Amino acid sequence: MALTQRDWNVLARRSRNIRHVQMGLLVGFLTIVSIPVVLPFFWVFVISFSARTGGVESAVLWRACGVLVPAVVAYVVVHLTFDSIRKRLFGAAVLILLVMIGLIVTVGKDLHLHNYRFLANANLIEDLRGAATAGGQFPWVWEAFVNSLLVAASSTLFKVSIATVCGYYLSRFAFYGRSAFLQTLLILEVFHPWMLTIPIFLVIYWIGLLNNLAGPILVLTVIDLPFFIFIMKGFFDAVPWDIEMSAMTDGASRRQAFRHVVLPQVWAGIIAISVLGFIRGWEEYVFVTALRTGNSYWVMSTYLYYVADDVMGVDYGVVAAVSVFYMAPSLLLYMFLQRNLTQLTLGGIKG
Amino acid sequence: MASIELRHVSKHWGPTIAVDRMNLTLEDGEFVAILGPSGCGKSTTLFLLAGIYAPTEGDICFEGARINDVEPRDRNVGIVFQSYALYPNMTVLKNLLFPLRFKNTSNEDAHARAMEIAELVQIEDLLEREPSQLSGGQQQRVALARALIKKPNLLLLDEPLSNLDATLRLTMRSEIKRIQRELAVTTILVTHDQVEATTMADRIICMKDGQIEQVDTAENLYRRPDRIFVASFVGSPPINLVQGRIDKTMLVAGQRRLPVSGNTVSTNVTIGLRPELISTGEQGLPASIVNIEPMGREILYAAQSEIGLLRFLEATPQPRLALEEHVHLKADPGDVLFFDTGSGQRIEGVRLDAFS
Ligand SMILES: Nc1ncnc2c1ncn2[C@@H]1O[C@H](COP(=O)(O)OP(=O)(O)O)[C@@H](O)[C@H]1O
Ligand SMILES: [Mg+2]
Repeated sequence: MALTQRDWNVLARRSRNIRHVQMGLLVGFLTIVSIPVVLPFFWVFVISFSARTGGVESAVLWRACGVLVPAVVAYVVVHLTFDSIRKRLFGAAVLILLVMIGLIVTVGKDLHLHNYRFLANANLIEDLRGAATAGGQFPWVWEAFVNSLLVAASSTLFKVSIATVCGYYLSRFAFYGRSAFLQTLLILEVFHPWMLTIPIFLVIYWIGLLNNLAGPILVLTVIDLPFFIFIMKGFFDAVPWDIEMSAMTDGASRRQAFRHVVLPQVWAGIIAISVLGFIRGWEEYVFVTALRTGNSYWVMSTYLYYVADDVMGVDYGVVAAVSVFYMAPSLLLYMFLQRNLTQLTLGGIKG
Repeated sequence: MASIELRHVSKHWGPTIAVDRMNLTLEDGEFVAILGPSGCGKSTTLFLLAGIYAPTEGDICFEGARINDVEPRDRNVGIVFQSYALYPNMTVLKNLLFPLRFKNTSNEDAHARAMEIAELVQIEDLLEREPSQLSGGQQQRVALARALIKKPNLLLLDEPLSNLDATLRLTMRSEIKRIQRELAVTTILVTHDQVEATTMADRIICMKDGQIEQVDTAENLYRRPDRIFVASFVGSPPINLVQGRIDKTMLVAGQRRLPVSGNTVSTNVTIGLRPELISTGEQGLPASIVNIEPMGREILYAAQSEIGLLRFLEATPQPRLALEEHVHLKADPGDVLFFDTGSGQRIEGVRLDAFS
């Protein structure tokens, strides 16, 4: 039996509707499950800009949510009803405008930057307590920031370059003990590095790097290496031999072939492990505290801890502001390099 | 310039022997094909010549000088890989310029050369593309151009046509031949396709299990194969092979005895007869048709005779014979080839007196 034009239209409309409903359900589901994840972040953010000394004003949060939640729901509706990107963008712009106005009206007078004074004020603790605490040498946040940057960046540099070279050799060369080496790499992943805190402390003590930033840098480099080597080996495995051989018959030395032809194929992997490595170093707390005996160096994680521990009970606002400041670099890095990170499927590269 | 020689060259991979004591000499400007089933060591031979692999034993000589220890980059060999191996991170132009990067070629010279070679292989319009934006045939041309741009002494082509569709294969076949002739570069083409080998190469090296079975022109491989393997690998449809035994002056095959003459030695033999050299007639070997395969302009019949199953071709558009029809097979007895079953070697000086 032949279907008429009208029948086809009905079928098409039905499947379009089904798709819309499914999409709506999916978006709704994802929104609901992401609330517990997003809400704390949002809360910290709001607190950091609104809390005044003495306590936390949850009313601000609820008022902000009262503006934001309807806006998000409205956008979902806009997204589902309009198919053209133009209209969606227009809808989003209008909603953002409304949210701005709504936020200014509802919470505008509660917002302030006072909690962020730690960025400019080197003597935060004395300010709050009238006397130095934490052994009398609580640092300025920028000192901790620079130290954290140093730890994260240099350990990343080391582990990425070592992992790249090792991954290449493991992928390309058949040497004695290669498979044993690979198995060892995997076995090392089984143990959590914190189990090794005491031996690591002793080793660092013996080589005299206690209370020195070089200690955590070294340890962080070593801890991530097995996994990173494995990832890089996967990426190199996916680069065909032919290309390299071709480069070598084209007049390149092995090193030149590596640099000009192989390395560009594994950039995705290098970027991915760099981001992971950097964030690992940026977030590190256990080893930076374990490898110092006093307050010899400060990094962001210890700074945050002491703000919370030493000062806290006093000012949630400052703690939240430090948290936001601490989170920002990781968040930015993730946002900019998110696409590279999703390629991290152990050697899954597509050119 | 480059006359190329392999002297007793072997390549082992642990227990696997990829190339087994190979001896070979190539003349300057020659186009030879290495023909053999997959896994017989063709690519390995190429990579040995290019210096990518080092031989386990034996010497590789260019112009009489032993070059075993010369680095691949110093051998001036152009190679087109089966996968083409274009550098994915570079445009076509950059791919072409890559081999010149490591020589002291000035920028203008390099670009001029690239243009020249691009014109030769007809990729002038593709220079700014990325390899991923090229079709198989275009990638192949780029790979060829990249292999040729440094004016190699030796051009190695590893199954260059196997990834192309049938029509493109036909054009590229004549293209490669034209380019080779124009540049007069010594060329080795690796292929498992006998048509490619016979249409393109001056000489064919037939390989099996790492060993050279025969080196000869296409015609000689077809007419006078040295070994059973060559006889069976070259020619399409494949040659008829029938087991038998020479008993004094008689060939015993199946239930049939056929007279032979020459310097006959009693031994087990395999006789070979090409399907295209058998016809039917009033007299000859009685047989009955057991299978009919139309192959376009020809019909391939299989007939059961007393000496065994024989296939033969007839150039008729429609089958002229029916299944189970009784026919008489005719062939020139001189066309029948004798091979020693044990060694696989062809027996010369023995001929069949009558095929009936
Ligand atoms: N790198 C290698 N390692 C181990 N065995 C290899 C390697 N390359 C080739 N072989 C083996 O050598 C034999 C010949 O391979 P190859 O020269 O690639 O064959 P072809 O090109 O004729 O198909 C095969 O049995 C193959 O498995
Ligand atoms: Mg091969």
